Amino acid sequence: MTVDSIMNRNPKTVPMTETFGGAFAILMDLRIDSLPVVDTNGIYRGMFDLEDIWELLLPRAAMLGLKSLTDLAFVSDAKEAMHQKLQDAGARPVSEFLDAQVQPVHADTPVKEAILLFYKHQGDLPVVDRASKRLLGTVSPWEILQALR
Amino acid sequence: MEHQGQVLFGWSASIVASVIFVLVYGLIISEKLNRAILALLGAGLLIIVGVLNQEAAVRGVDFNTIGLLLGMMVIVNITAKSGVFQYVAIWSAKKVNAQPMGVLTMLSVVTAVFSAFLDNVTTVLLVVPVTLLITEELKVKAYPFLIAEILSSNIGGTATLIGDPPNIMIGSAVGLAFNDFVVNLAPVVIVVEIATVLVFYFVWRKDLTTTEEAMHRVMNFNEIEAIKDWRLLKQALTVLAIVIGSFVTARITHLEPATIGLMGAAVLLLLDNFTRDAEEQSKNVHSAFAEAEWVTLIFFVGLFILVHGLEASGVIKWMAGQLLTATGGDFNMTAIAILWSSAILSAFIDNIPFVATMIPMIKAMGPTFGGDQALMPLWWALSLGACLGGNGTLIGASANLVVAGLSERAGQPIRFMAYMKSCFLLMLMSVAICHVYMLLRYLH
Repeated sequence: MTVDSIMNRNPKTVPMTETFGGAFAILMDLRIDSLPVVDTNGIYRGMFDLEDIWELLLPRAAMLGLKSLTDLAFVSDAKEAMHQKLQDAGARPVSEFLDAQVQPVHADTPVKEAILLFYKHQGDLPVVDRASKRLLGTVSPWEILQALR
Repeated sequence: MEHQGQVLFGWSASIVASVIFVLVYGLIISEKLNRAILALLGAGLLIIVGVLNQEAAVRGVDFNTIGLLLGMMVIVNITAKSGVFQYVAIWSAKKVNAQPMGVLTMLSVVTAVFSAFLDNVTTVLLVVPVTLLITEELKVKAYPFLIAEILSSNIGGTATLIGDPPNIMIGSAVGLAFNDFVVNLAPVVIVVEIATVLVFYFVWRKDLTTTEEAMHRVMNFNEIEAIKDWRLLKQALTVLAIVIGSFVTARITHLEPATIGLMGAAVLLLLDNFTRDAEEQSKNVHSAFAEAEWVTLIFFVGLFILVHGLEASGVIKWMAGQLLTATGGDFNMTAIAILWSSAILSAFIDNIPFVATMIPMIKAMGPTFGGDQALMPLWWALSLGACLGGNGTLIGASANLVVAGLSERAGQPIRFMAYMKSCFLLMLMSVAICHVYMLLRYLH
């Protein structure tokens, strides 16, 4: 079984010119975890996902992956400051926040490979054409589980 | 001389040992290959070509240094898991009401004090993340804080036997105790640290401003929450206190530093593991040893053998003679030359191989200057120069590179030239202070 047989061929996408605020509103309204970002030719440019939002809200030091700072239990929790961070980022283009770590798959990628990527804590997977890099669709864990049910 | 007299093709042992040493040294400076690989390759080559046999090579390794480093690495890595170091860093920032200049001063002092008892890289790995966190909350540049911490880590490490590898090497090779370092180096180290912080105060005080609200956020940090494991904290601090107490009383107990360090590590491992089941113990002990810096330890082993090759083939004795000729056999001149040349060279090259080479050279000067006891000021000059010299450039010490790497990843890069412009002068200032100290205390 390949990704081709189960992928969502009509996912919600946003253009590179979309703002952070606009993309954030779509995630909130649709209660989804990620949004593929495409250019004017439909070529996949990256994923805007919840991780990008968490990165904006967290202190940089906490994201260095150091054993000497594994939690933030001791910091002060100011809701206003975090709210302000979201507001300040609102007008910036979504292209500044793209998660380059999300690995695209292809229509002929085996579903087991997609399962492995989900196991490694990756969110929805973009499916792109090998040659043109155009976005063909996305695969979410739910689509795989639905197909296997 | 210890070399075997059977060097390949009848080549001169001193020339072969020198060529291998210079090659390895050059490649270490070029940073094209990992220094541990180079040192081991060089050491192996010395044996293969016959400058040393394996037995002589092993005799050249100072296991007192290796054992002490390993023991302290294990103790510190276990202690760090308790969260105590973050606790102290946050507590110190709150003690000055989170005023940026006060925080810079406190974190610099905390870094210096930690560095005196922990290795410098571990210290900055513990303090820098908290610094980045606090500066982000205060919305001030992290740059001056990080630079001050780099300088303080190298300054603080100079004060004790266990603070910086050059001191461990010197102490072990010469048989100097923990107290010898504290009594002879700590006074000038305190002066250097105060002078450095004062310079930061005058240069940065106008730029480091923040809002009441930002300071309030830092004041709301709850340092108690930084403590992750109270039981481990008590165990680790008790062992650390006993280890430091043992260093202080080593003259009376006749215990060598490696015995103290490794015994401390063993006791802490025992305390941390005796309540766990076999599988958990295995995982925990594996992780405690895996976190030791094996690359550094292996580098030391190779380096000791390389320097022993130079020593056994008579090169060191020749080099010592050349240095004495250059200084006209004048003791004061020799001490000052060692202080300044160690500092300048250590700013650009790794101070560990440099000190490893200098130790036998200085030892060889004993007969000229009236015996081992008379050489003491030269050891202090070497330690001060080699440890403080590391502050001169971003590549001068491992801790500098670690901070630069972390700050780059945190989006606040420290550039080589920008660092050198300000810190080379500060390094020269610190060596000048040591120069005056040496003149007043040891050189007449």
